[in-house]
Amino acid sequence: MWGRTLQFLPKSKDREGLLPWVIGVMLFLCALAIASAAAIGTGIESWSRDLASNITVQVVVADATERQAQTDAALTLLRATPGVQSATVLASSEVMALVSPWLGDLPIDANLPVPALIDVALDGVTPVNTTALSERLAIAAPGAQLDDHQAWLSQILDLAAVVQIVLISVVGMVVLSTVAIVIFGCRAGLATHAEPIAIMHLMGAEDSMICRAFDLRYLAHGIKGGLVGIAFALLTLWLISRMATELGEGLVSAFAPSTDFSAWLLLMPVFAALLTMATARITVRRALKEMM
Amino acid sequence: MITFENVGMRYGMGAEILQDVSFTLEKGSFHFLVGPSGAGKTTLLKLLYLAHRPSRGLVDFFGKDLSSLGRDDLPRLRRRIGVVFQDFRLFDHLTAFENVALPLRIKGATKKQVQDHVEELLAWVGLEERLHAKPATLSGGEKQRVAIARAVINKPDLLVADEPTGNVDPEMSQRLMHLFVELNKLGTTTVVATHDENLVSAIGAPVFSLDKGQLSVRPDRGQS
Repeated sequence: MWGRTLQFLPKSKDREGLLPWVIGVMLFLCALAIASAAAIGTGIESWSRDLASNITVQVVVADATERQAQTDAALTLLRATPGVQSATVLASSEVMALVSPWLGDLPIDANLPVPALIDVALDGVTPVNTTALSERLAIAAPGAQLDDHQAWLSQILDLAAVVQIVLISVVGMVVLSTVAIVIFGCRAGLATHAEPIAIMHLMGAEDSMICRAFDLRYLAHGIKGGLVGIAFALLTLWLISRMATELGEGLVSAFAPSTDFSAWLLLMPVFAALLTMATARITVRRALKEMM
Repeated sequence: MITFENVGMRYGMGAEILQDVSFTLEKGSFHFLVGPSGAGKTTLLKLLYLAHRPSRGLVDFFGKDLSSLGRDDLPRLRRRIGVVFQDFRLFDHLTAFENVALPLRIKGATKKQVQDHVEELLAWVGLEERLHAKPATLSGGEKQRVAIARAVINKPDLLVADEPTGNVDPEMSQRLMHLFVELNKLGTTTVVATHDENLVSAIGAPVFSLDKGQLSVRPDRGQS
């Protein structure tokens, strides 16, 4: 690819020396945006998987005896439904714990008409028609309400999709900005090295020979900047994942990059270097065509 | 070998720098190019070393009509032309050896060919001790000899020199001109632009005289 490369260009001037740093910053931003988009995707996927494997039935009846009767009826129906792995009534203490943020710590026998909650685990193999199940529940236990979390989940999924689109757009904009910066850098480089280029032309150098010298230089800029940017990005992601691990499982912990994902991130400097080189090649070749 | 017929040259929409310039350079000939500053010498030289194309007229290089040649054809043609610039135009970050080696490397010479030819040529111009010196450490005369070595390393068919003795003392001028004459004897067609009438008289070659963009030819007065 670089046969007969003539290193006729003097070492980078200050202006050009900044280019690797700019590429590094761009790659850092790109890596963070990609990691965030991937983390949201992973987090939502695992969350929706968890939520889809559970439904909640609450029996809202003021009279305690009637509530118990309807709860038993609902339990019987649920346990007989294909696809249901288990159906468990939450203990009063657990229910009181759920409402304590709003009502404060109350004694269990506070005589409050708190609904009974049934946690239903699905086996994930046999599909459960929640609409039909809801209708049958309404007959067996008129006070029972089935919640499969779908309404809430679909809103969260919509939000996650929008955030992902925004993040991917950020990646696109960062890539375009990098290309623009390399083009400006390249033009400045061409202006700075106009004299050596002219002499090379007069000695019979073909455009391809001159391009190769720029190719190598910008490839080196891309690799340097890419490695610095990815190193900082991986360090940042590692710190976030450590903090997330301390917070516990959930959406945030998905920021911990997997080994596979880290490997993909490590390919980004190669991508940055190739993008930089390709941009430089096109810019230089076009500019040289304008010369005699 | 090289023919200019009614060549005119202007930059952009400006006035014509060269007007109806016609001449022929036979193979192995030696010509001086003289004229006051602003007469168009540098422009004519630029046309000769293919830095520009003329605005009008016919130019024939080594049997090829320049107007019929595309941009991609020029590198091959330029490798047959050696240029010595008044201000040397050496690459400051390269050594004398590397500067002289460039045209060979452009041509695709092997490492051994480069090593042998460059050392031999730098010895010929008296710089065998300065192979690895960078231009900043060379005197004006040494720089000019490196520039000459670079111009002739490919054994060009045409050698064009723009005021090659402009930045050196009279003794060095004589030595440099001797180099040009020696090269010319080896068959290289040579055109030397100069202000130095003593040099012109000393060599006695035919003279192209430019004045206000118009060329006249003074015939060979015989070597003194």
